[in-house]
Amino acid sequence: MTGTVLDTLVPAETPEGILLELRPSGLCARACAFLLDMLIRFMIFSLLTTVIALLGALGPAILLIMLFLLEWLYPVAFELTRWGATPGKRALGLKVVMDNGLPITPAASLTRNLLRVADFLPFMYGSALVCMLIRRDFKRLGDLAAATLVVYEARETRKAQLPQVEPLAPAIPVALQDQAAVIALAARAPRLTGERLDELAALAAAVSGDAGGAGPEVTRRVLGVAQWFLGRRSP
Amino acid sequence: MTPIQFEQLYERDWEELRQLLAQMHGRRYGQERLTVHGERVAALYRRTCEHLALARARFYPAYLVERLEQITSDAHQAIYQHSELGIGRLARLFSRDFPRAVRAHAGFVWTAAALFVVTSLALGLLVYFRPELILSVADAGTVAQYDQMYSKAAQEIGRPGGAGSDWGMFGFYIRHNVGIAFQCFAAGLFAGVGTLFYLAYNGALIGAVAGYLTERGLAATFFAFVVTHSAFELTAIVLSGAAGLRLGYSLLAPGRQTRLQSLVKAARESIVIIYGVSALLLIAAAVEAFWSSAGWIPLAVKYSVAALCWIAVISYLTLQGRRAN
Repeated sequence: MTGTVLDTLVPAETPEGILLELRPSGLCARACAFLLDMLIRFMIFSLLTTVIALLGALGPAILLIMLFLLEWLYPVAFELTRWGATPGKRALGLKVVMDNGLPITPAASLTRNLLRVADFLPFMYGSALVCMLIRRDFKRLGDLAAATLVVYEARETRKAQLPQVEPLAPAIPVALQDQAAVIALAARAPRLTGERLDELAALAAAVSGDAGGAGPEVTRRVLGVAQWFLGRRSP
Repeated sequence: MTPIQFEQLYERDWEELRQLLAQMHGRRYGQERLTVHGERVAALYRRTCEHLALARARFYPAYLVERLEQITSDAHQAIYQHSELGIGRLARLFSRDFPRAVRAHAGFVWTAAALFVVTSLALGLLVYFRPELILSVADAGTVAQYDQMYSKAAQEIGRPGGAGSDWGMFGFYIRHNVGIAFQCFAAGLFAGVGTLFYLAYNGALIGAVAGYLTERGLAATFFAFVVTHSAFELTAIVLSGAAGLRLGYSLLAPGRQTRLQSLVKAARESIVIIYGVSALLLIAAAVEAFWSSAGWIPLAVKYSVAALCWIAVISYLTLQGRRAN
């Protein structure tokens, strides 16, 4: 399949021998998440400053310790929750996982966040930028050392609604992959405009014996064949 | 078997697994968190994995495969997650893992210590014989402050007049010192060069200040101030340097692994040292803020406590956690 060449999916094998596909997040989404987190940290800090001003003598100590915690442990604390992501990452639908797709461990989270210092050098996350751009899985240095990956969280998939048309026997023998392609087309039908659906169905018209044809009637027949591939038969 | 039959046949298993997982996680689905039978979850998970493999091999429609992928990946996460946090883990860390990790990195520790000590001695002697050189590591204002901080008249040693309370300094030391230690560690990622630089730099700075104050005749107050907390602080800086050197070395000499594998292994093993370093620096900050700066404690007491601290730290690192269990 040509699609696999362009994809940045990272396969992670489970002990059961199946491959889970992780979708690493690119530079832009991560930069946005980072900026959001900066903003949140800044807001927490300004809130703290106002509250702590009322505390008197102990104030500066608490403030400095809070600053330290915000600087170093803010990402760690949030990555160890069950969402595995800081608020900024969650807002963008990202999360941090181990290379094998499991939730991040405390050691790995600490490693990747302490090594942020190295990523920051020489200035403004220069190393992280270069490292992320030359890798297919967009890891920064901290991710490399901690064996972690920032991925898009899987969306809830809803059950596909195939258009209900009369099942139709295929006119020619069709290989399994091609059957899957025809079914995939039918599953996408509700999200396509009528014209686009006709165009795409015309490419598959051979399966219903309408090779070369196009138009709503051909589309209906192709969708009928899709129903047949799924296993529906006319009553 | 057609996709529809397949779905009808196994749908119930998938739904059951999904519901059990939802129960495990609880809150998200607005349900109560219930204990579920691990055995049942594991069995259903393995079965669903099998279904996913079948669905892929038979080129079943994408929506079906995606649905199975989602269920299996949720279950995978729930079943294989580690729980590393907890009091037991923390106790094990300090009673065993941290000192063992330090001893396992003995070569790196000695290298880091040697670099640190040699640069501080060199700069110390240099500045002692040519005091004007202190101006090349600190500006005149800061130097004047050193004079004032460690003068015999200072009520609170080691901090500029009018600086915050003990607590304020405690906060400052934590932030400042832990920052230096983390930097020392992380910079190791650049083939260890960054760590070498930070170790030498901090060694030089401390040596220069010590040399300068000795030349000015303030050695007594200065050493009485630093001797106690340095047991924790200098050890911690050297240890974080050792952890950083380990990172760098893993990249330079990966052995029979790829550089990446070697780095991952080095990071996993050396981060244990960093846990311990953070704890040491916390102690150091407390000692520095509340004990070292107190001018009213007699020197004899300070030096005896300092000796005890040094002995405690060194014997902890060399002896603790040696017994097999």
